[in-house]
Amino acid sequence: MRVPPLVAQGLSVAYGNRVVLDDVSLTLEAGTLTALVGANGAGKSTLLHLLQGRLIPSAGMVACDGMPIQSCRDRVVLMPQRGRIDWSFPITVREFVALGAMGNSSFGCCDREAALQRVGLESLATRRLDALSGGQQQRALLARTLVQPSRVLLLDEPCAAIDPPSRGQLIALMRQLADAGQTLLVSNHDWGSALDLYDRVIVLDGRVVADGAPQQVRSMLGSNLAAQESFHE
Amino acid sequence: MSELDLWLVPLLMALLIGVLCPITGTLLVTQRRVLQANLISHAVLPGVAIAVAFGVDPAIGGVLSGLLGSLAAERMQRGQPAGQEAVINTVLAGFLGLGVLLIPVLNIRLDLEALLFGDLLIVDWSDLYRVLVAAAAMALLLLTRYRQLVFLGVDPEGAQASGLPVRGLQLVQALVTSMVIVSAMSAVGVILVIGLLCAPVLPGLWRVKSLRAAMLQSALVGLGLSAVGFLLAVPLNLPPGPLIGVVCMVLLCLPKLRPVNSV
Repeated sequence: MRVPPLVAQGLSVAYGNRVVLDDVSLTLEAGTLTALVGANGAGKSTLLHLLQGRLIPSAGMVACDGMPIQSCRDRVVLMPQRGRIDWSFPITVREFVALGAMGNSSFGCCDREAALQRVGLESLATRRLDALSGGQQQRALLARTLVQPSRVLLLDEPCAAIDPPSRGQLIALMRQLADAGQTLLVSNHDWGSALDLYDRVIVLDGRVVADGAPQQVRSMLGSNLAAQESFHE
Repeated sequence: MSELDLWLVPLLMALLIGVLCPITGTLLVTQRRVLQANLISHAVLPGVAIAVAFGVDPAIGGVLSGLLGSLAAERMQRGQPAGQEAVINTVLAGFLGLGVLLIPVLNIRLDLEALLFGDLLIVDWSDLYRVLVAAAAMALLLLTRYRQLVFLGVDPEGAQASGLPVRGLQLVQALVTSMVIVSAMSAVGVILVIGLLCAPVLPGLWRVKSLRAAMLQSALVGLGLSAVGFLLAVPLNLPPGPLIGVVCMVLLCLPKLRPVNSV
């Protein structure tokens, strides 16, 4: 039997008296594209940090390929939110992407140039990072993530603050990666039709509210989800 | 001191710090840590006072004191996410106040004005050697840790997540910054040194494509600023240190050196 790349069981986290996550369990299968959907403060970023081993849960455990995450943190790579990056730093796209390989003796699924090509930025490689549009910057960040060797990619709101066409390109790119065997968990706010491009949707609100294929989650949440969609549209 | 040394040493000093301070400043500006440099420059005073009282080289006391101030501020910033600047400024005032108090308490003679504003015309070879030691430390840091410093500047959290020793790197950088500030102290003082750390970095920073190019450009600008300030001081019969500070500010007013979309 094949061991799933990432398994989380009974994860709980509290900041003081405030419970952020309560008994969250999930399993990610290889080569799947999963959306992690929830409102602000639902615990999405906290969960991603737990899954990458940056945060220690107050209860529960995370395993990668059957081993505790703390012993194999380099197998799970987290692409941070765009707000964490200083986009005005004097650096070219190529140099920025190459930073992803720092500290790793081997490249990830592709080297620097291949990663640039994969996200469609090879022609902009010599531009300054702040000369790119928001969508192109997100693709550069994804390329930096791709040069790190990993079993699982965790993407923290990659579609935030970018225009719809760029969002579509980015999701299509993530789809390609999943089809090529990569395992991706992508947090976002988007409750709209873009969810149909994912294999699976996990709805989080401090705990797992719904989990399944996009259509299945829609029918599970019913009118609640319709209200969210109309609000976001 | 020979007659040649009387003008050669100050000129060399002006040119050397004109290159070294902007290179240091480029790291600080791109990492948004200029306030930390300001803190270090003011926090050197207690260390200088104690060193003078115990007959130790004031530069050693200054470097240690500046580093201590930086570490103290970093420690106090934890748990104060909304008030980090306030913490730095409070520590800055505290260390400066402590330094001023130590002068009468330790019963030492210290020219506070020279310490704060410097006097380029009375520097000697020992001051020049201190700048060279600081320059060597900076060169070593850049040669061995350049890419790590780039990562730290563009994405500090990402740098930490990828396993870089971020805390250690920041500590070493604070130490080298302290060395640079203290070495420039005798020439331009702990207050005016901030002008040389920042002003040469800003023109064209929006245009260059690498940290290396930003450093090179700021070093050239700093060299020009120091030379202009020094050469203007002779005919105008004014102190070069403050004049360099003023020239730094005038530089920022030149419209062609600002980004195209700025007002």
